[in-house]
Amino acid sequence: MLSDYIVMALRSLGRRKLRSWLTMIGIFIGIAAVVSLISLGEGLSNVIESQFDIIGADVLTITATGNNYGPPGTGVTDPLTTSQLEAIERVKGVEFTVGRIIETGTVEFNNRVDISIIASLPEGERGEHMIDLLNFEVDRGRLLNPGERNKVMVGDNFADSDKFGKPVQSGSRVYIEDQQFEVVGVLKKKGSFVVDNTIIMNDDQMREIFEVDREDLDAIAAQVKKGVSISKTKEDIERVLRKERDVKLGQEDFGVETAQAALSTINSTLFAVKLFVYLIAAISLIVGGIGITNTMYTSVLERTKDIGIMKAIGAKNRTIFTLFFIESGFLGAVGGIIGIVLGVSLAKGLAFVGQATLGSGLINADVSIGLVVGSLFFSFIVGTISGLVPALKAAKLNPVDALRS
Amino acid sequence: MNSDLIIHSVKSLFTRKTRSFLTVLSILIGIMAIFTLISFGLGLSKYVTEISTEMGVDKLVIQPKSFGGISIPEKQMSQDDVDFIANVKGVRDVTGLMIQSAKIQPDEDTKPKYLFLMGFTTEKEEKEIFLELMTVDLYSGRMLKKGDKLKVILGYNYQLPNKIFEKSIRLGEKILVNDVQVEVVGFFESVGNPQDDSNIYMTYEGVEELLGEEQGYEWIMARVEPGEDPKALSEKVFEKLRKFKDQEKGKEDFFVQTFQEQIEMFTNIMRVLNAVLVMIALVSVFVSGINIMNTMYTSVLERTKDIGIMKAIGAKNSDILIIFVAEAGVLGLIGGIAGILVGYGISSLAGFAVAQAGYSFLKPAFPLVLIIGSLLFATITGAGAGMAPAIQASKQEAAESLRYE
Repeated sequence: MLSDYIVMALRSLGRRKLRSWLTMIGIFIGIAAVVSLISLGEGLSNVIESQFDIIGADVLTITATGNNYGPPGTGVTDPLTTSQLEAIERVKGVEFTVGRIIETGTVEFNNRVDISIIASLPEGERGEHMIDLLNFEVDRGRLLNPGERNKVMVGDNFADSDKFGKPVQSGSRVYIEDQQFEVVGVLKKKGSFVVDNTIIMNDDQMREIFEVDREDLDAIAAQVKKGVSISKTKEDIERVLRKERDVKLGQEDFGVETAQAALSTINSTLFAVKLFVYLIAAISLIVGGIGITNTMYTSVLERTKDIGIMKAIGAKNRTIFTLFFIESGFLGAVGGIIGIVLGVSLAKGLAFVGQATLGSGLINADVSIGLVVGSLFFSFIVGTISGLVPALKAAKLNPVDALRS
Repeated sequence: MNSDLIIHSVKSLFTRKTRSFLTVLSILIGIMAIFTLISFGLGLSKYVTEISTEMGVDKLVIQPKSFGGISIPEKQMSQDDVDFIANVKGVRDVTGLMIQSAKIQPDEDTKPKYLFLMGFTTEKEEKEIFLELMTVDLYSGRMLKKGDKLKVILGYNYQLPNKIFEKSIRLGEKILVNDVQVEVVGFFESVGNPQDDSNIYMTYEGVEELLGEEQGYEWIMARVEPGEDPKALSEKVFEKLRKFKDQEKGKEDFFVQTFQEQIEMFTNIMRVLNAVLVMIALVSVFVSGINIMNTMYTSVLERTKDIGIMKAIGAKNSDILIIFVAEAGVLGLIGGIAGILVGYGISSLAGFAVAQAGYSFLKPAFPLVLIIGSLLFATITGAGAGMAPAIQASKQEAAESLRYE
């Protein structure tokens, strides 16, 4: 029975080939726009998320509250201290802690000066922990050992020739705040703007160069013990820090966050921008839908006599409705399939061109099964909704009037 | 002749009301989307031109190099730099601006916020440069004067409840800046973005009282003598200051820009984003063009007999062509007019909503060019889409057309 409907719908679409094609073009352009934009948008989100994957979900980052201007811990009036670090380490549920200082400083290489982020590698065991936590690996050269003086390791972006006119390599000599350092290794690309632009230096020496107080820390990372509640540990750390820093509940001048929590703020901004872009792209789908409605109205009008005959020989309202409904759904679905194919190729093409010309990993197409199935379903829905009113009109035609037209 | 054509096309559009309405609706939606987006893009350009020509045309900005906006405290510009720039020929007045992060509370029991504290001069001419470049004016209270130390002017948003702090702050009140009580002597007018409207402003002496002597400048602003070319002078200042600071070429730790260059840098991203959105919205106009084409093909088909009759009584091919192109153009024009009206409403509403959110610099602009351009665009889209069906109509054989049922 259903197959009869489909055959009939196909036949009537085939009879007006040009019109059916134009109608489908409207839909597939809309679907192609939405699909390509969504896959590029999701690609961007994945890249951003991967920056936060650097730190695990069971690591709490503690910073003193500043104005959120720049790297963690900057713009702070009351910095964290090593005694607070030790207090955090005593919290039940904390496996170990790592305290770091982060500064901006001048870097000179190949007779050019640039400003960069410099972060410390703590002494001893904590340094080892930090390398594990951030999952540092080197592409070329070797990792910096905790306590090593006059040596640094650098983020992947230093290996780009645009930064200083020629790439920094292991063995290169760079001047940081006018002191000479040997680069022992270039870190593997993390995909994070900050980490890839950072220089890692021995804690002791960094405090000397930047004249940082022995006690001060810009950020503390605390690894939560396996099987211990992260939120409970977070509360415990907050309580301990309130006491250490002498602040009342609700007036904390510090923050304790998991990387995931920081990610969610960025995600919500990105989500708003993406939603806006998708909405604008979806406008063309609405316009395409109007095209379907129009085509179906014309189709009903042209076949008024046919409808009259069908009704006269016993076709029910429901039969007529189904017939037209399937026809419009079909227009939507086929338009959707072509649109998905076009949209995916467009997104992949744009990502390819973007990566080749800009060299930026931010442009990435991510095509998920959900997107493909979702947009196919959506285009079918657009087709059927657009065809709903014309199909109802057809179904309600009075057979006598219809025959006479 | 022309009015005949228009009357004819309007009449034939009315005979197929539903179809014409749907076609007009689809172009309406497309035109509305691009009209709205472009009005915001133009508003942004207008804002940039306004502030860069009215306030910024004769100004230079000298800043220390930074990483993502964070400079190194020791590399901030000094009073010596300011004095040196003041003596460069072609420079009229120079002033430095201190930018620091500060802990701000209305009273001891409120959770502090970390926002920007700006330190500026009390000298008359120099203060003017600052006020013009920051595009701020006194809203209420009084300006800071020589000898003011623990007095502060607040950004506009501090007066609003639940914006920065729960309670609004009034003139004459004392607030805590880095735990020191300071008196609010004035408020600045709204700058139009939440960041700048949350700044607080003190005299140099005031900032140094709170943060210690010898604070550096994050910005140096200079006014150019009338008749000097700011761009040429910016290069001269850069070169002279480099020699003064005894830095090698390429190793400078500062940069000089005209204010125009700076503001363009800030708004370029938004312009690119706007352009991308307009392109995406153009897709919907394209789809609506396809709908027009479809409607016109149907129209040509339905009126095959009419075309035959017209030709039989002497209508030339070009007459038929013009009739159908005019019909399609009228569809586009009507859609365009309606689209502009709806778009105007949406832009105004969105502009209002954005201003409520604190971004009053994002204001839509509706120059005549935009309105005429949109109308022309809609008409041309319509006529262009109607071209192929019209050509088909004009080429029909009179005899065959007459025979068509």
